[in-house]
Amino acid sequence: MPVRLMGQFYRHAPRYGVGLVLLAAYQLFQWWFDTRMRSAINFATTGHSAQAIALGEMLVMAALGAFIVRVLSRVAIFNAGRIAEYELRREILERLLKLGPSFYRKMSTGEIMSRVTNDLVQVRLLLGFGILNIINTGFALVSALAVTIPISPKLTLASLLTLPFVLLITRGFSKHFYTRTRDNQDALGKMSARVLSSIAGMRVIRSFALEAEEIAAFEKTNQAYLEKSLALARLRGALGPILQATMSIGVLVVFWYGGLMMLHGELDAGGFLAFYRALGRLTWPLISLGFVVGLLQRGRAAFSRLTDIFSAEPDIVDGERLLPALASGALEVKHLCFAYNGRPVLDDVSFELPAGKSLAIVGRTGSGKSSLAVLLARLQPTPHGSVFLDGVDVCDLPLQTVRSSIGYAQQNAFLFSTTVARNIGFSIDEPDEPEAILRIEEAAREACIQDEVLDLPDGFDTVVGERGVQLSGGQKQRVALAAAFASEPKVLVLDDPLSAVDARTERAILAAIDRQRARRGLILITHRVSAAAHCDEIIVLEKGRIVERGTHEELSKNGGIYAIFSEEQRIESELAKLGGVIADEQRVAE
Amino acid sequence: MTTPLGSESGTPKPTREQRGRAEKTRTERILKAFHEEERFGKAYDARLTKRLWGYLKPYRSLLWFSLVVILITSVGAMVRPLIMRSAIDSVVKSGDRAALLRGGVLLASVLLVEQVLGLVQMYAVQVVGARAVTDLRREVFAFVQGLRLGFFDNQLVGRLVSRVTNDTDAILEMFASGALNAVGDLARLIGIVSLMLFLDWKLSLIAFAAVPPMGILIVYVRRNIREAFRAIRAKTSRMNATMNEQVTGMTLIQAFSRQAAAAQEFDESNTSYRDATMSAIKWDSIQDAAIDTVAAVCLALVIMSFGYRRVSFGTLVAFSAYLSQFFEPISQLAQRYTLLQGAMAGAERVFSLLDVVEPDAPPRAAKPARNPEFAVQLEDVNFSYKPGTPVLSGINLVARRGERIALVGPTGSGKTTITALLLRLYEADNGTVRVNGDDVNGLARGELRSRFAVVPQDVVLFPGTVASNVAASEEPNRERVEDVLRRIGALDLFAARERGIDTRVDEYGSNFSSGERQLIAFARALYRDAQILILDEATASVDSDTEARLQRALEELMRGRTALVIAHRLSTVQKADRILVLRKGSVVEQGSHAELMTQGGLYARLHELQFSRTEQETALKSALEHAPELAAGE
Repeated sequence: MPVRLMGQFYRHAPRYGVGLVLLAAYQLFQWWFDTRMRSAINFATTGHSAQAIALGEMLVMAALGAFIVRVLSRVAIFNAGRIAEYELRREILERLLKLGPSFYRKMSTGEIMSRVTNDLVQVRLLLGFGILNIINTGFALVSALAVTIPISPKLTLASLLTLPFVLLITRGFSKHFYTRTRDNQDALGKMSARVLSSIAGMRVIRSFALEAEEIAAFEKTNQAYLEKSLALARLRGALGPILQATMSIGVLVVFWYGGLMMLHGELDAGGFLAFYRALGRLTWPLISLGFVVGLLQRGRAAFSRLTDIFSAEPDIVDGERLLPALASGALEVKHLCFAYNGRPVLDDVSFELPAGKSLAIVGRTGSGKSSLAVLLARLQPTPHGSVFLDGVDVCDLPLQTVRSSIGYAQQNAFLFSTTVARNIGFSIDEPDEPEAILRIEEAAREACIQDEVLDLPDGFDTVVGERGVQLSGGQKQRVALAAAFASEPKVLVLDDPLSAVDARTERAILAAIDRQRARRGLILITHRVSAAAHCDEIIVLEKGRIVERGTHEELSKNGGIYAIFSEEQRIESELAKLGGVIADEQRVAE
Repeated sequence: MTTPLGSESGTPKPTREQRGRAEKTRTERILKAFHEEERFGKAYDARLTKRLWGYLKPYRSLLWFSLVVILITSVGAMVRPLIMRSAIDSVVKSGDRAALLRGGVLLASVLLVEQVLGLVQMYAVQVVGARAVTDLRREVFAFVQGLRLGFFDNQLVGRLVSRVTNDTDAILEMFASGALNAVGDLARLIGIVSLMLFLDWKLSLIAFAAVPPMGILIVYVRRNIREAFRAIRAKTSRMNATMNEQVTGMTLIQAFSRQAAAAQEFDESNTSYRDATMSAIKWDSIQDAAIDTVAAVCLALVIMSFGYRRVSFGTLVAFSAYLSQFFEPISQLAQRYTLLQGAMAGAERVFSLLDVVEPDAPPRAAKPARNPEFAVQLEDVNFSYKPGTPVLSGINLVARRGERIALVGPTGSGKTTITALLLRLYEADNGTVRVNGDDVNGLARGELRSRFAVVPQDVVLFPGTVASNVAASEEPNRERVEDVLRRIGALDLFAARERGIDTRVDEYGSNFSSGERQLIAFARALYRDAQILILDEATASVDSDTEARLQRALEELMRGRTALVIAHRLSTVQKADRILVLRKGSVVEQGSHAELMTQGGLYARLHELQFSRTEQETALKSALEHAPELAAGE
């Protein structure tokens, strides 16, 4: 588990090691080039042409050699940073996949995304750019000083007078640069959000003739972005000239003082040029060093924010016991109590679902029926000793076993922004195999969505858009239902699968659910009695407790809540019939 | 013009083993086509350039100033090695110490002036670019506001957003990175070449010999860098979208035990992102090292030639300085070319949107005003969204001033469409739509729509606060907002929040319940205080307390106004003066509640069922009173 920043470094030690050696080799080449260039120039100026030419040939080779090691050193270290980034991102996602509801209550999707994008970039910059520049600057200093000190220690000292200033300037810039870049991005984000809401709410804007207000509101964000981008531009524009001006002082010192030394014969022509060149190649390493300091700080802070994700402990973990190869799918709930944020939601709920039987859980909104549904498959932290699959406490079983045995279709269907086929075949490992395609089509037919899917522009290959925006609410719900059918669990838990469908479709889906019942156990969470009537047993939840249980016939007669529901249902079905007539007429009209 | 990049040319052969793979790439291709991939345009397009110039024109004085400064600084950069040469040569030849000092001071001054001017110039260009792009962005946004509503029906929201933001940003980036400096690069290149030729043409040839291979290398490397960065951008957004979606849909993934598949899916985008970045690293490193290397090689060659024939040491120093300056502009030019391409592609997309000719409610020939006592009148109106599928046929409808009309009918019967025609959000195919007797075709859209207050079925909240949403303005009149909320009986609900009516509205209003969102929409309509109210009742069920609030609010809202209510609750319908029952785009029944009840048609049947249902509700509630007490929560 890569929970420590240094751990990243150790893990890729070979790459960093190679990078270190290559950077050393590069600076060695540079040193060699500068010192031999000095001799070559001195040979040339003193008429030793043959030596000068021979050395010149070697200089060409050295330049090419330097090129190769320079490219390789960067590839080695930057790649190490990128690979570490890749691994960290993978680790984060794998951790996120394990974490349960208690974590997601604390950290929102936006917060997680901000850490995975912004913070991870900071860590990567530290592990790639940061490390490379620390090493390179060190070697570059050694290599440059090894050229300049033998030429003249005094000149070296004089030329490095501006060094502290350069460091101070870049350090200060780097700080502001970071905040201003962030401000700039925030301003862009705000502007985009404004445009998005404006286009998404265009109908309202038109109806209220709010165009002028919208344009004014947009203009505010537009101007804010302009200001932020100019603030960034001022900084970005100023850095180069200020640094160059500062560093040129050093260059001038060399020029003037070096020139004087040449005049006094203390410095030869080759030495002058070599000195000049050595100083020149210190420029970038020194500038980047100023940035690296800020980078180290930010990278470490960013890593500690990532650790919040790494170190989060999953609240729902695998059990050790194994079920016999084929679970039959008998489910038992014993004295289940559950509280959410200290508020009791379920109180002493017990029932049994023998393999292949069906159970309806009926209740009003807020009665706790959806909470019960998610506890069965341990999507919330199910208390020990309360839910049993084939006689084994689900908390003692591997999550994979529990969840592939107990399939759950949630009320508010969530779809992924891929094709309809992929959404239905979500649980299938090879969704593009011919058998899988048949299974997907079969599930779509069972969920009464096939005809509508085929009417979509690209049929099953239609991309549903982010969160399924291209589909209606009822269509989304049925695609989710088809996905639950296609997953073929031992026990199917359907949370209000009919809330957004018309009466005709409801009848067809109920028929499909009846067929499903022949193959697997079924728990149907619903407030519709017509649906509950299809089940072998019915329990009625009210304020977290089972207040009635029995068959449809029994409960309809006993004058309790269910009987009231039942009467309500009868009226609804009358209404539905009427609606059905209208819907039929509409279909004809279309 | 533009070619879609990144589309695989060869499809894998669908052998039995590869079938799964081939199918996978099929789904991937579908997704790829769905997500618009970034494209590069031509670097130069006279038509686009001319249009862009229109936005730069207001700032042209700054632009000319920059251009002059760029040329001056380029000259400065060219002269510096010459100063060094003459100073060194005079020192070497005559031992002139004063010349050295003079040279040093001159060099320093040139440098300083150059840097200061450079700073001013860079900023000036950025100001021009940023202001021009801000203007363009304002124009695009305002233009979109003036497009007819039908235009948005088949547009992807995300793409329109990126016209206003990303595409204009691509144009901005061109300025931010100093594209104008391309002129300076070119000038410097020409200057340096001439100066080198002037100093020593034979030495120059050595340097120039390096240009063709260097040029080829740079073009080649740049192309790879460009491709790599394009891939990185595309892959970053896909990767982040995948993660965002997985985190949002985590319950579903866990419920289906798809963690392994999800991890693998993410790993694919994570891996391809990593590979794209590693490719970029390779080419970037090569580019980074190439210039220094070529300059060093040239220097070595010059020194070798120095062995054959002597030149002055000053010339050598100047030459070595020019060599390091010489290759810089070549590389810069290549980089700027890429940016120019990106900017042109952005400009092309933005301008193609601006070229859309679908104005909202344009002026049309209007029939003379008639029947001003009718707040709303539709005469023989036909309408269809798509030709061939009529939505409304032969609609006749009248609402007298102050009258309350309920529109009843199944989904798709055309109720909402009628209200859209009144506002002229869509235009009737034929027939006449009148508001206060005026043909809507003859009214300015602002004037027409100011006569209405609308509560849509799906409440839309905008970024801002409760108050700004109620007032539908960034500068709400707070007293009036509070007054309006008080009148609909919702002030206590919002005042209870920490920041009261200044509570921020999250994205899509997710920090408010559906009942609260409806109340905000009601308040918005009341704040507007228009003569005619159009209300599309929400179907979503709310708790009984909120339901009661909504009913009271509705009553307040309709008081003293003409109201057209698309009703889903029969209780609302009963309050209407007149009820219109729609089916298949035609009015099938019309009259007061009493009249329709005696007719015994569709409405009467609907009402009968609803009434018995209400009785049952009451019975249920009393039954629940006796249920055991336990705090409910789900």
